[in-house]
Amino acid sequence: MPSWPEERKYIGSHATRIDAPAKVSGAAKYPSDVQPQNWLYGMILRSKWAKAKVTKINLDPALKVPGIKAAVLAPAVSERGNDVTLRYYGEEIAGVAGTSKQACLDALRAIEVEANELPYVVREDDAKADDAARVWDEAPNLSRANVRQQGDDLDKAFGECAAVVEGFFTTPVQIHHPLETHGNTVSVTDDGVTCWASTQGITSVQQDLATGLKVPQNQVRVITEFMGGGFGAKFGPGVEGVIAGLLSKQARAPVKLMLTRFDQALAVGNRPSSFQKMKLGATSDGKLHAFSMDNYGTAGIGAGASSAGGGGGAGLRAPYIYHIPNFRVSQQTVAVNAGSSRSFRAPGCPPASFGMEGIMDELAVKMGIDPLEFRINNDPFEIRQKEYKFGAEKFGWKEKYKKPGSSPGPIKTGVGLACASWGGGGQGTQAEAEIHSDGSIEIRCGTQDLGTGTKTLIALIASDLLGLTPDQITVRVGDTQYPPSGGSGGSTTAASVSPAIYDTCTKALAELQQQSGVADARGANWKDACKKLGPNPLVVHGRWQQGLSSSNTGGVQFAEVEVDTDTGFVKVKKVVVVQDGGLIVSKLTCESQLNGGVIMGIGYALYEERYMDKTSGVLLNPNFETYKLTGLADVPEIEVYFLDMPERGVIGIGEPATIPTAAAIGNAVANALGVRVYSIPITPQRVLAALGKDKASA
Amino acid sequence: MKSFQYANALSTGSARDLVGKDGAYLAGGNDLLAMMKEYLVTPPILVNIKSLPGMDKIDSSGGAWTIGSLVTVAQLEDSPVVKQTFPGLQQAAAEVGSRQIRNVATVGGNLAQHSRCWYFRHRDVPCLKKGGDICYARRGENKYHSLFTGNSCISPVVSNLAVALAALNATVVIQRGGQTVKMSIPDFYAPAWSNPQSHNALEGTDLISHVEIPAESRRSAYIQMSEKSVFDWALVSCAASAKVDGGRLSQARIFLGAVSPVPYEAKAANDSLEGKTLDEAAANQAADLLLAKAHPHEHNGYKIPIARTLIRRTLMQLNA
Repeated sequence: MPSWPEERKYIGSHATRIDAPAKVSGAAKYPSDVQPQNWLYGMILRSKWAKAKVTKINLDPALKVPGIKAAVLAPAVSERGNDVTLRYYGEEIAGVAGTSKQACLDALRAIEVEANELPYVVREDDAKADDAARVWDEAPNLSRANVRQQGDDLDKAFGECAAVVEGFFTTPVQIHHPLETHGNTVSVTDDGVTCWASTQGITSVQQDLATGLKVPQNQVRVITEFMGGGFGAKFGPGVEGVIAGLLSKQARAPVKLMLTRFDQALAVGNRPSSFQKMKLGATSDGKLHAFSMDNYGTAGIGAGASSAGGGGGAGLRAPYIYHIPNFRVSQQTVAVNAGSSRSFRAPGCPPASFGMEGIMDELAVKMGIDPLEFRINNDPFEIRQKEYKFGAEKFGWKEKYKKPGSSPGPIKTGVGLACASWGGGGQGTQAEAEIHSDGSIEIRCGTQDLGTGTKTLIALIASDLLGLTPDQITVRVGDTQYPPSGGSGGSTTAASVSPAIYDTCTKALAELQQQSGVADARGANWKDACKKLGPNPLVVHGRWQQGLSSSNTGGVQFAEVEVDTDTGFVKVKKVVVVQDGGLIVSKLTCESQLNGGVIMGIGYALYEERYMDKTSGVLLNPNFETYKLTGLADVPEIEVYFLDMPERGVIGIGEPATIPTAAAIGNAVANALGVRVYSIPITPQRVLAALGKDKASA
Repeated sequence: MKSFQYANALSTGSARDLVGKDGAYLAGGNDLLAMMKEYLVTPPILVNIKSLPGMDKIDSSGGAWTIGSLVTVAQLEDSPVVKQTFPGLQQAAAEVGSRQIRNVATVGGNLAQHSRCWYFRHRDVPCLKKGGDICYARRGENKYHSLFTGNSCISPVVSNLAVALAALNATVVIQRGGQTVKMSIPDFYAPAWSNPQSHNALEGTDLISHVEIPAESRRSAYIQMSEKSVFDWALVSCAASAKVDGGRLSQARIFLGAVSPVPYEAKAANDSLEGKTLDEAAANQAADLLLAKAHPHEHNGYKIPIARTLIRRTLMQLNA
């Protein structure tokens, strides 16, 4: 059984990112930056109707615009011929490519589209009604309920409880807004296809692009040396990638089609909303005993259905991390005329956490139990048990937790906590090392670095196993010509890549030692051993091995807030994170993941919400002016702690980082106010309404 | 955006000739270029007025204070003399957008900026303010909208400087067809109160040359509340000024922003403070009078308690 070295110099260290200088200086070329010779801009024409039957599309006027080299229909539109129904504001109709962005803008306005507007529905509550306009003619908007239950008699179980609470928790549609928008630069020639993709999965882009462009997969090369964030919505080339390919084919030139921020808000994914009607009861010993939940949410035009913890559907994990002997959970997805959901950092979990951890606190308060003690009494996971105690100590929970609403004055402080659960395991990665006689070494792996620090992680592992320093290792990722690794999603990358690098380096070292006759080729002996290789480099292949990584991670977050009860303004003062990541490989980038998860969670808690207008059917806030994101001034003091458990091996933590933040903040706000805000984002409007000060809606 | 011609103005006269009937003056460009990118306006010519001489000065040599319309918002924010003389104006400037925006945004542009209503700003919504048939906000998403209006459009004025300058009893000086026209801040915005398509009193080739603030010994303050800590529009803003003598107020002026198409005031509220010592009761009474005619819509009633709080807090700052 393989095992990580006992002595670790770089693994677990605070070493800086190996690509930090390239990123800071701008030398790093992202897919948005690449400029192959003769490249053209590409842009997409989108539906301005929430639902419409198309009667005419004429691309010819676009081709007459100076500078325009190609115009194509979106694949779904050309496939449907004369029977095209557009189902949401922003759906792709056509694409154009030209020598300037302005030429493309002019061409988009020149395309003639005529359509008959059809009845539509864009809001969940409206879409649920029996007489609502149907998003899909063949089925009602509201899916059949997906029901899971346990225990024979739920009513009886509630009757056995010492206390029961009820609550209706809601979470909004959260839009995918990575720093780099979705998009690709695609070059289609007679020799094959090259795609510089802003993607989480170069091989899935390769596969889907080959299908979309009808070329063999082995003729498609996908390159992602750097990319600006994915978060679950960037696994394929997208409609925009296939359109770029079709445009490139027609124009016989590379086409760069990066979405505008406006496009980004409409069509490339979001986290489904949730409307969770919940009831929770515990017996007099403080043990959870009975739970019921009816939830619905929208995945846009996507059918969604239930996909607990996995895809991008509207289903949630419930009763989340808690083991409750009696429960009934019923979930439905409601279709609306809006862009489809996609998996979004810990799909199904942040909304589940907000609801479940919220009602947990409600019950704790009703029973007069400290919310921390209540969790310790009910959380079945051993690792989190340690984290509650450790985190409470660091946060000062005992001193800070006061009776809800008891802090004096109009500006009230409050504290709250919530927990996270995630897999974080991975497998399947392959890699190779190429060692030259001058001692230079390159490690190649067909994974992609989303900005999480995958390249750095590879360099740190190789350094420790070969006795070298990170600057001696050249790391190459993000190319389908390298050994395959798979998509970077589900927080699987670290646990999938690390063992493959271990295997590659271990085998390469053994091979080098055998070929050179040097008994220990590491460190000081490295160059001498390499010298004996001769002109042909040593190339060694490795793959993921069991025993170096594991799964099932837990985390706990504590939040402290200040709420102005006269204005409803919430300020997060401090967040303490305790996370189990097994063997931490790259501590700096791991901490960055936790910090980023918290910052994203603050946006979910306080600012982010997609607004659909029922009268016009449009998305009202397709920009950062009114789709609000956490800014630097909104970021509190964040303390990150890891449980040091190297014996567990490598575990991914990117997703659990963001799961409990909004729930912890929601609980802290309720603790400050003495009343709960059941809906996120917790805006001044909602705080004042909860306090009964909102005249219009109270 | 639609292609356009570009010219540098050398005098207000040449600027007027160049801009013609449908052109636009370009100063900081924050608002204009954003509207052009969305095809909400398509001027055939942009006349750069940053080249006009002498309009970027803050000056008190002639009695009244004059602030040139090309003074940047950052200049106001950073000016020690503005901070000392008109703290309310300095505070309002410091809350505009981000530092990058304030570095190029001008006083004239801030006053003349158009509605931020998300229906008005949407490229595919033919709202009333753009000449359409209905105000979508009235029946739709109106959490950012007005509590007071004299017409069917409920988009509010969002200029921070307008609210602060109104409290300081400032005058907007406009070059109109070779004539100089002066109007109070309330008069400058008055057309927006009654006409849904109007943002302010500027028409044709009008150009704001400067703003005048009376040289009076007034205390002033400005506070706004947004959803985010910084770089966010005000949900409600409040500016106040008054002469304070021996703890007693006179000639108090209180204005609210982001709740009406005009900086909103009520004479009764101002009058209620005349000769009074400022305490919580006086401040609350003024707030009641100022908010008496508030008409909330489905989603913006929460602005009333925020406004009440800001009125109280802003007035109490005058005591400091």
